[in-house]
Order: sequence, then C-alpha cells, then structure tokens
Amino acid sequence: MSVKTTDYSLLINNLMLFYENALAINNISLKIEEGKITGVFGANSAGKSSLMHTISGIILDMAKKEKMKGGERITWFGEMLFKGEDIINLPPHKRARLGIVLCPERRQIFSESSVLENLMIGSYLANSSQTKETLDFVFELFPELVKLKNREAGFLSGGEQQMLATGRALMAQPKLLLLDEPLLGLAPSVEQRLSRAIQDINKHTGITIIISEQYARPLFPIIDYGYLLENGGVVMEGTSKELMDNPDVIGAYFGI
Amino acid sequence: MQDKRKERIDRGVKVRSDTIYAISSMKEIMYLIGPRMGLVLFLLALPLVLPIYWQKVVSITAVYALLAVSFGFLSSYVGLVNLGGALFVGVGGYISGLLNSAYGLPLYISIPAATLLGALFCTLVLLPCLPLRGIYFAIVSFVYPLAAVRIISATGAFGGTDGIAGLDMIGSGYGSQYFIIVTLLLVTFGVSRLVSAEDIGLIFRGVKDNEQAIKASGLNLTMYKAVAVFIGALIGSFAGAWLAHLYGWVGMSLMATDFSILPLAATVVGGTSTIYGPLVGTLLLVPISEALRDFGTLRIVFYSVAMVFFVVFWTEGLLIYIKRKYEQFERWVRV
Repeated sequence: MSVKTTDYSLLINNLMLFYENALAINNISLKIEEGKITGVFGANSAGKSSLMHTISGIILDMAKKEKMKGGERITWFGEMLFKGEDIINLPPHKRARLGIVLCPERRQIFSESSVLENLMIGSYLANSSQTKETLDFVFELFPELVKLKNREAGFLSGGEQQMLATGRALMAQPKLLLLDEPLLGLAPSVEQRLSRAIQDINKHTGITIIISEQYARPLFPIIDYGYLLENGGVVMEGTSKELMDNPDVIGAYFGI
Repeated sequence: MQDKRKERIDRGVKVRSDTIYAISSMKEIMYLIGPRMGLVLFLLALPLVLPIYWQKVVSITAVYALLAVSFGFLSSYVGLVNLGGALFVGVGGYISGLLNSAYGLPLYISIPAATLLGALFCTLVLLPCLPLRGIYFAIVSFVYPLAAVRIISATGAFGGTDGIAGLDMIGSGYGSQYFIIVTLLLVTFGVSRLVSAEDIGLIFRGVKDNEQAIKASGLNLTMYKAVAVFIGALIGSFAGAWLAHLYGWVGMSLMATDFSILPLAATVVGGTSTIYGPLVGTLLLVPISEALRDFGTLRIVFYSVAMVFFVVFWTEGLLIYIKRKYEQFERWVRV
C-alpha cells in the first residue's frame, strides 16, 4: 500500500459485504481525512446503512445473531484501517473505545430514561472532567435540551430526539463520529439547525465526521468531501464543489 | 490474496418444483411429497413395529404432539405465546369426564362434545387477556391452569383432589392408536394449510407482525385472536378429552404444568416458523424422556441441558436446519 495510512482517520480498502448471496457493499474504498466532514449519499438500498454498520462494527453483532438464528449469513472482506490499525474484525464496543462512535439511524435513544440520563449513559468512556466539559458543550450546542433535562426522552419531538442522540454520541468522546441519517424525518428548519450544529461540532472539537443521508441538499454546504453510492458501489466522489457542479449529481441526488 | 466465501444455492430440484415443472417428472414430485410421505409412513408404521410398552407411549406422544402443534400455531403464527396448554387439556378432560360419568354419554359423543365445549369455554375465559402480547400473554395464560387446580382442590368441585374415576376407557389396540395418529396427521396438515394457504392464515400472520396495521386494514383484531385461540383450544381440548378416556380417570394432574411446558420445549428443539417443527420436537422429546425414566428426576437435567443447548447455540431448531439442507447446498466461490 503506497498511501501513508496515518494521514487518514479511516481508510477502507476494497470492502465487500454480503447478506447471504446479496451483495450490499461492492468493492468500496474510502479515504476519510482527519478532522473533515465526509458525506455518504445515496438512495435507499445504496448501502449507506450497511457501510455505517460495518464501520461501527455493529455488523459483527448482526452476523452473530443471524448465525444463531440460522438466518442469512453476513460475510465481509477487505481492509479497514483506523489510525493505521486494522479494525475489520474488532467488536463494536472495542471500536467505540478507540473512538469510533455511531449515532444510529432512527435515533435509538433510551426512551424511558430522562434526557440527562441518556447523555450520561453515553459518557461511560469519558473521565469526569471530560464528561462535564462535553455536557456543557452539548447544552451550548443544543440549548433546547437544557430545559428538557429531566423529561423522559420518549416524549421528545423528533428533532429534539435527534439532538439528544447526537449529544449522546458526543459524550463518548469520539474521534470519528458516524451520523447515520441524522436528518431523517425532520422539518426543513430543523434540518438547517442540525446541520449547522454538526458543522459547529467539527469546527470546535476537530472531530472527524461521516454523515450518511439520502437527501444531500441541506448537508451539502457543510461537507468537505462526498461519496455517492449506488447499488453498493461508489459511483462518484469529490469535494462538495466538484459534486455540486456536476449536473448528473444535481438531478439525481440533490433534488433540484 | 484470494478471498473465498461459502455460497448457498437452491438445489435445482427445489427451483423446478417451485413452479409448474413440479409435476414434470417423478423426481420433482417425490422431492415435494417425499418428506410429508416420510412423516405419514413413519407415524403409521409406529404401532406395527414397536413393542407393547412403547405402543402405549405412542398415544401419549400423539397427545403431546397435538398440544405442541396448538402451541406452535398460536405462538409462531398468531403471536400469542400460550403457556396455558394445561388449561385446554384440563378443561377438555373434565368436560368429557363429566359428560361421561354424570350424564352417561358414551365416549364417542363425550369426546367431540368436550372438544367443542372446552374450546368455547377456554376462548371465553381467555377473552379478557387477548389485548396482551408476547410475554404478558404467556404469564397470564400460564396462571390459568395453576389457578384452576387451586380452585378445584379448595372447593372440592368435580371430585376435588380425587378426581372422577371410572370413565369409559379407550382400548390400547390398533384402532385407537391409528385413530389418534390419523387425527394428529390431519390436524398438523390442516393447521399447516390453514396458516400458509388460507386467507385467515394471512390475517393471523399479520396479527403477529403488526396489530396496528391489522386494525388499520379494517379487521377486528380481537375477533381474529379469539378465532385463533378457539382453533388452538379445539386441538388442546380434544387432546385432554382423549387423555381422560385413555386413563379412564380425570383429575387435577390433567392441569399439570408439563402440558404447558413440553410444547414450548418441543418448539424450541424442533424449530419455530413451521408447524412441523413442534411436531418433530415432540416426536424426539417425549420418547427420550420416556427412555430416561430409569433415571428418575435426573432426566429433568438431561432435558434442561438439551433445551439450553438449543436455545443458546442452535436457535433455529432441528427442522429449519434440515429443511435448509434439503433445499440448498453450499459451495465455495471467489469473491
């Protein structure tokens, strides 16, 4: 490999993922630069969520569960280097300790715990001073959550839940933050609000962020580099400007 | 580096027999009906080849198998995990026993009557619990037979702890053995067809998947659940009535927890998501537990270990595994 692996936060080489005989990720290679925001865009079934699951390691759990049930076998091949270390077969909790933190699709908050408890559960990997600092940062980022601190999280609105989920992921002191469809089902104004917050996270903490989303437009101004997926493969990649100037991309993915 | 992965492919004969080519040759026809014929022939041959002692086990096994089919139907296809199999057995048994001893009805009337009345009674008492789902329904239904036993022993109703003795007996000849085996086969194939090929089976599976969507489709959820419980209770009550006349005696032991738990164990071992899984599970478990009778209570340990093994390491169950091997083969392919 000629690329110096340490230049990148995450380096994925020739990743393939099978759900039984169905190819979900077809020979994808990604280079995620340190401290940048990378977007992964594509329609349903493009392989975005599978990719996020593979990076966060959840796929190992899913494979185990399916194997026990005798259901679909999930197999994957390829190389995934996080700060120069191959993590392709590392279980998800160990990846979280390395700093790869997933903010899952559909938020997946602990709906019967309070907002504050949700955030504290996220902070198991942090020491107490980090926790305090990050908590302040999260409340600064999402002032709405301060008022709702003691509210049961299940009663929050969709937008507030997404803020909570993002905040919870931040509490785990990520070095690489994976946001799986953070704008799912949100009003345009809340979309704006969240994408600005994501940008702030990146600016203030320097955390590397990968966002997957179907509708790229609201995220478009904040990403540094983007990949377009189709049927499990990368069909196009480039900086946000390059993608924006491509007429095919505009028609197909940005919904103009 | 050459990566390889194991690929599962449907066998050619499976693909052909999914379509009109199923009747194109003897091979395809045999592929389809072979396993079912195997089951039928195996069960029909049992009374002929087994020694006398084991012939008695056949009847008991068939009764348990009926309960397992009822449990499998309710849990895998309607989403009602019914741990109250003993209630069905007890109610069926007691009704048949009463009709036979108090009213002098012959057993060929009392058993069918008990089947119907028992199913009606069970459906009525379970009606208030039907909004419950999953573990909650399991808990409540589990409590019913336990409560019934306490009520009977406390009030002394229906002979109290002594039960009702001196009922007409079913002989243990070939006639009765074949009757219960054929009934078992009819029930199994009937339920299997009901859930896979009939409209109401589609609704049942919908009830399991998503109750809200069923309501949104304009279907009366409680009614369909009640119908499902009625079908399950029909099978269970028949098993109970049969058992009562097999022993010539009805008592509180007809509400024993065995009748609730063994179907669950059989389903775990045989595999969910087909009706045949619980059946195959029972055909394995009951004879094994009978063979281990010499070990006394220690056989519970063997039993439990087998169950834990299946739950933890082989969740799919035997039949699903066999079915997959029957339909598919594996080969290595280059990625």
